[in-house]
Amino acid sequence: MTWIILANARKRKARVAMTVAGIAIGVATLFALLALSAGIEQALDREISAMGANILLLPEGCPYELTLALMQGSDAFEHIPMDVLPSVLAVGDVQVAAPVAVGKAKANGQLTSIYGTTDEILGVRQWGIDSFQGAVVGSDVAEKLGVSAGDVLSLSLYASEEIPIEVVLEPTFGRDDTFVFVPLEVAQRVLGLGDQLSAILVRTNSVTATTTTQSTLGRMSDIQAVPPSDVFERLMDLFATIKQTLILITGIAIVAGVLTTMNTMTMAVYERKKEIGILRALGSTRGNVFRLFVAESLVLSLVGGVVGIALGFIATQFLPQSSGFGLEATPVFSFLYVVICLLVAIVVGVASSLYPAMSAARTQPIKILREL
Amino acid sequence: MNITLTGAGKAYGTGEARFWALRDADLSVSDGDFFAIVGPSGSGKSTLLHLLGCLDRPSEGEISVDGRLVAEMPDRELSLLRRDHIGFVFQQYFLNASMTALQNVLLPLHLAGVAEGRSKAVAALETVGLAAKLKSYPTEMSGGEQQRVAIARSLANAPSVLLADEPTGSLDSKTGKDVLSMLVRLNNERNLGVVIVTHDADVAATADRRIDVLDGRIAQ
Repeated sequence: MTWIILANARKRKARVAMTVAGIAIGVATLFALLALSAGIEQALDREISAMGANILLLPEGCPYELTLALMQGSDAFEHIPMDVLPSVLAVGDVQVAAPVAVGKAKANGQLTSIYGTTDEILGVRQWGIDSFQGAVVGSDVAEKLGVSAGDVLSLSLYASEEIPIEVVLEPTFGRDDTFVFVPLEVAQRVLGLGDQLSAILVRTNSVTATTTTQSTLGRMSDIQAVPPSDVFERLMDLFATIKQTLILITGIAIVAGVLTTMNTMTMAVYERKKEIGILRALGSTRGNVFRLFVAESLVLSLVGGVVGIALGFIATQFLPQSSGFGLEATPVFSFLYVVICLLVAIVVGVASSLYPAMSAARTQPIKILREL
Repeated sequence: MNITLTGAGKAYGTGEARFWALRDADLSVSDGDFFAIVGPSGSGKSTLLHLLGCLDRPSEGEISVDGRLVAEMPDRELSLLRRDHIGFVFQQYFLNASMTALQNVLLPLHLAGVAEGRSKAVAALETVGLAAKLKSYPTEMSGGEQQRVAIARSLANAPSVLLADEPTGSLDSKTGKDVLSMLVRLNNERNLGVVIVTHDADVAATADRRIDVLDGRIAQ
């Protein structure tokens, strides 16, 4: 059957190319969407896990926006007074409470996320050092600014500070790579926060104590206690809504692909009336003709599917990587997505060929021969 | 195999537009016959050929194949009957330009799932003297060669009867004679029943029997 399909395709190169392109665009969109969605989900999971806290203490306001700002290293303009810290540490099950002040400032003249914290952060982050008085610089920032350990970093916004770089971190492939970590009071001065904090990262003694501790901390004034897992789930819910909308749009593109292919195949049936009539006269049954058209459409759709997967893969390499909640999301590729896209292509092929194939199969050879 | 028309006729159109292309035709064709159907354009000779080829059901009278009424056969059975027992050749060869000679002959066999299609297709092309042109495309062949490919296509599944509608109509006289000689040879050597529709009196003279059709009726 393959040689028949190839021979017929050779006869209508432009039409075949347009059909394949129509299907490929739909499949490419789907493949890119699946890969990017998985990348965003993975990035969210990674960033929230990387905080290393069981509980986030945040200022009053939308906890999701505040958490996203914290992950992105931006100032959310809502703050916690520093004096709640002793009360937090006094809660029985609190093992670590790392105060954090974040915001964008200039580092060596370039806008960079400044992450002010104390040695307490070392209880929730694995940097391989025991304490820090200078700057701990993420790998991407170090590369961007062209600095290394021992250099002096010049920070400025509301105030200017010169601070030696103690460590350049190994790449984590997360947001930490884009941060400059500095002692809390340095960040507070540079960012003009006074004695206020962006958040407090809390780790409890045991996971089982988290709920009770969260409840106790949540009753304190001026702060809210949020488990990162709740934030993750909520953000994933939000993302799921966006994803559903995108899938719907992709679905519309695919339906348009089905209609285009159906139109092409219907036109092909019309153009090939004579050929069908001769085949029927020579003894091809309706089933033979039906199967020929379905097979042709299926092959075109599969080729479109493969081309679409390749295009989708290429497209994801050129799309901006900070597309998901301002996080760096690297597309995640899976064999499952290839299978899904090929299945979609097969469904497109079969669905779009049914009507034209039936129309071809219904051709009465005598009607064609009388027109010859 | 025997195809018999008894008082067969075919009408087209409905209401006032209805007209009879053929009426009251009596004819019997069997293996080994060589008939020529002759008549002017629009006389009904092609309709007669189509009825003989079980491409259409009669509007009046009966057509039977080996005693079975065509009117009672479902579409699939008629297709299989044509595939296995009747060959068609047309004036305009109707070959697929993007397929080689071999592929053109193989196509109907392949679609129908006929066993050993390739060897049958090769043998049919050898029969019409085109063993050296298996891989040639129609555009690389002369009109006579293309018509011989079309004949090979209709012979590939070893039919009992070959129906040819003006098979030499598009060929020059020498090539036309060659094609006709080949049909005579197939009739003699294989006992193939051949029915040719033609305008050409010389072609008609080659046949064992001439059937004149005029105004939709077989002349007595």
